[in-house]
Amino acid sequence: MPGLFKQSVALLRGLLITGRYLFRPPVTILYPEVKTRVAPRFKGRHWLTRYGDGIERCVGCELCVIVCPAQAIYVRAAENTPERQVSKGERHADQFQINMLRCIFCGFCEEACPTGSIVLGQDYELAGYSRASLIYTKPMLTEPYPGASGRDPGREV
Amino acid sequence: MSAEARRALVTLVIDGREVTVPQGATVYQAARSTGIDIPIFCYHDRMPPLGACRMCLVEVQKMPKLQTACTLEASEGMVVSTTSPAVRAAQESILELLLINHPLDCPICDKGGECPLQDQTFRYGPGRSRFVEAKRDYAKPISLGPLLALDRERCILCWRCVRFGEIIAGDDALKGFVRGFTSEIGTPLGLPVESKFIGNTIAICPVGALTSRIYRFRARPWDNEPVASTCAHCGVGCSVWLDVRGGEILRARAREEPEVNDVWLCDLGFFGHGYVAAGDRLTTPLVRREGRLYEASWDEALGLVAERLRSARERGPGRVAFLGGRRLSNEDASAAGRFFRDVVGTPHLDHRVDAPPDGASLGVSWGLRSSLDELGRGDVFVLVGCDITEEYPVLWLRIKAAIDRGASLVIVHAGRLEIRRHARCELLDRHDRLAPLVSALAAAVSGAVGAGSGAAARDDLVGEGATGDDLAAAARVIASGERVHVLLGRLALDGPAGRDLLRSADGLTRRVNGTLHIARGRGNDFGAQRFGLLPGEGGMDAPGILRGAAAGALDLLYVAGSDPATAVTDGAAWESARGGVGFLVVHEAFLSATAQAADVVLPVLVLPEKDGTITNLEGRTLTLRAAVKGPGQARADREIFDLLTARMGVAHGHGTVARIEPVAEPTAARGGASPPLILVIADRLFTQGSMTGRCRGLTDLAGTAHCLVHPADAARTGVTDLGLVELATEHASVIVQARVSDATLPGQVLVHRGYDGVPVHALVRWSPAPVGVEIWPIAPPGAPPGGGTP
Repeated sequence: MPGLFKQSVALLRGLLITGRYLFRPPVTILYPEVKTRVAPRFKGRHWLTRYGDGIERCVGCELCVIVCPAQAIYVRAAENTPERQVSKGERHADQFQINMLRCIFCGFCEEACPTGSIVLGQDYELAGYSRASLIYTKPMLTEPYPGASGRDPGREV
Repeated sequence: MSAEARRALVTLVIDGREVTVPQGATVYQAARSTGIDIPIFCYHDRMPPLGACRMCLVEVQKMPKLQTACTLEASEGMVVSTTSPAVRAAQESILELLLINHPLDCPICDKGGECPLQDQTFRYGPGRSRFVEAKRDYAKPISLGPLLALDRERCILCWRCVRFGEIIAGDDALKGFVRGFTSEIGTPLGLPVESKFIGNTIAICPVGALTSRIYRFRARPWDNEPVASTCAHCGVGCSVWLDVRGGEILRARAREEPEVNDVWLCDLGFFGHGYVAAGDRLTTPLVRREGRLYEASWDEALGLVAERLRSARERGPGRVAFLGGRRLSNEDASAAGRFFRDVVGTPHLDHRVDAPPDGASLGVSWGLRSSLDELGRGDVFVLVGCDITEEYPVLWLRIKAAIDRGASLVIVHAGRLEIRRHARCELLDRHDRLAPLVSALAAAVSGAVGAGSGAAARDDLVGEGATGDDLAAAARVIASGERVHVLLGRLALDGPAGRDLLRSADGLTRRVNGTLHIARGRGNDFGAQRFGLLPGEGGMDAPGILRGAAAGALDLLYVAGSDPATAVTDGAAWESARGGVGFLVVHEAFLSATAQAADVVLPVLVLPEKDGTITNLEGRTLTLRAAVKGPGQARADREIFDLLTARMGVAHGHGTVARIEPVAEPTAARGGASPPLILVIADRLFTQGSMTGRCRGLTDLAGTAHCLVHPADAARTGVTDLGLVELATEHASVIVQARVSDATLPGQVLVHRGYDGVPVHALVRWSPAPVGVEIWPIAPPGAPPGGGTP
């Protein structure tokens, strides 16, 4: 009998904890109806940023390609012409692709980038219906207007 | 070890390691031989040391100051340190100094990733710069011709490129200008660089100052997959790396092969790969129906070819002929030979499509009679009608190296070669008088050898360009040689009286115990020759096949690895052969002039797309590796022959071959009064042919077709430099741009073959007599019709 009493007390103590949390606000959120804010240094989808005047920062140097541990980046550079000055200097990225299925979001590309072009943004909703749709091309990666990625277009690198 | 050999060695200590090297070796070489790395920029092991960059400073005991390892000769008992604090400090200072004006634009620089300055700064550099002032600021990049871009900001003035032009190539293409702080590399007046070896300067530039305009920004070194292969353009067979990215050959680099090309290439080797990825490659078989070529399946095309081959075989032996071989690999050539000899049963095979019937080319086997290495050890070189830099550029580098070691060069030519300033003697005469000139030279050499002194040459045998004294001097030079190499080129062999010339040249060579080389053939002509693409017993040679075809003696003509419509040196002979033959099958990668006239065109892979071997002009077998996949349904030639063999049914043995009577040769007046102005057709390295014409950069170098007219003739005929002229022979006329130049001789007009837009072969017929030509101006300079730019 003393055993039965002991067990009942343990059960009630457990229920007491349950009862306490029952009336507190929940820590989980109802994703996707509700979204949480990510940390400021969260590494989400990549952006190819622009300078304040709209010129692309990326010069197609391929340092991100060589540093990428997942080999997720493909760059093909081309020459700027006076009629089509895509970036500063002589060189720009003609093709820039990131395979989001391969990317491990380590941020090395951001670290290697000599012009501060590539940044990892806050967006983490990167699911897709096909593999092909998850290879992000340059038009998808380039920010539509300076600062669209959330980074200050006026920063140095 | 003999006492002398022992004396010739010195032992020194580098970084505590004892090294023994031959006397005369530098400290740098000694360190390198024991695996100690000393950083360098200006030193290149194919050139003598210079000591300009100061990067290789080392500390030597008992020497008060640091010494440059690349210039310091190793001596007995020397104690060297390459890692002492003083050396480290010096290396850091030198790099800091070099980087003062280096723009550090590595992210946009094409050299990034394979840059010695980058690598050595990483290894030996100070890590940070104290230089806060403005760097020098130049316009960048400046273009020096269609291949080369120069970025003067990045140049560290190591002088490698300048010295390459002076020492290796002998063309002085790039020079240093101005002094001190404002020194820069360039060409006089910033004109396009004139060199056939400029790709090498890009390769040896230790920074990104000289970069290729063709490869510009197309890849980083880590993107490329290098494929070890062989260049198959000119016949020297240089070893190359083909850098492939995404199924496209982006660039070629020299692959070290001491016995062939050493570490060099010519610009055709560096930039002559663009045609592989050309957009107009043939991808499906084409079959002629109702006068037009339509796309067809392989099954249909091969079925048709096999059926026509079978019916030709049934009509009798020897009613099929095969032409071509220059663009085939050894394996393809062998397969073609076996197929036509054993399966089709014809002895009419020939790869020498461009040989005229009366020249000397058909009578000799093509190629060198010694190895390239042996050639390079010669002490007298006689170039007879051989424009070596246009025909076999890398061979010239060997001859240039020999000249620098004291060898002599004698040029016998119908024009002034670009290498003429390296020649000891130059004997020039009009093309039709080359044969008598060589025979006079042979006689003079005989005299010189016999008499042991200069024999007086007969002045009446010597033409305008050469005097009797020149001849005697040349004869003395040749007679004094111990290892004489005579290179007989196409201009001499196929020129008027080529056979006489060959005989005299042979006599001359024998007299001095030299070696006679037949510098004839391009691509894999040598493999075609070796693997049996030559007439068999009772078989006709190439001109015979064309004449036989014209006379209706052939039912089917099969062409592979050649473009006879532009290669046959008598345009009319090809036309009539095509007209006279019932069925023409062509293996082609492009819709060439021959393919356009064909009944069946089979798309083939080009050499960089095939595994196999080729043979170079010394007979060496060299490996080809498939760098990229071919377009569409294109197949290798040998695969096509295998498929046809399967469709041909039981093979016929060698039957008796009906002797086809040669068509009467046109009787040309020989030795008659030569016309006032004769036409000379010469080879060029960069042309607008089916391959080089599809390589970016090289087409710009080839430019438009032009003819060279001597100033004396120009004044007489009213021709102006860069003006358009009409060239007319009794057969046809063409309109080309004229260049007034003394590179040709009075009395002859020189035109280049290889410009498909200007069919110079239509101007001439196979004839032993020189072809007279008339020339008259039709437009002043600066007014080319159709807005074409020269």
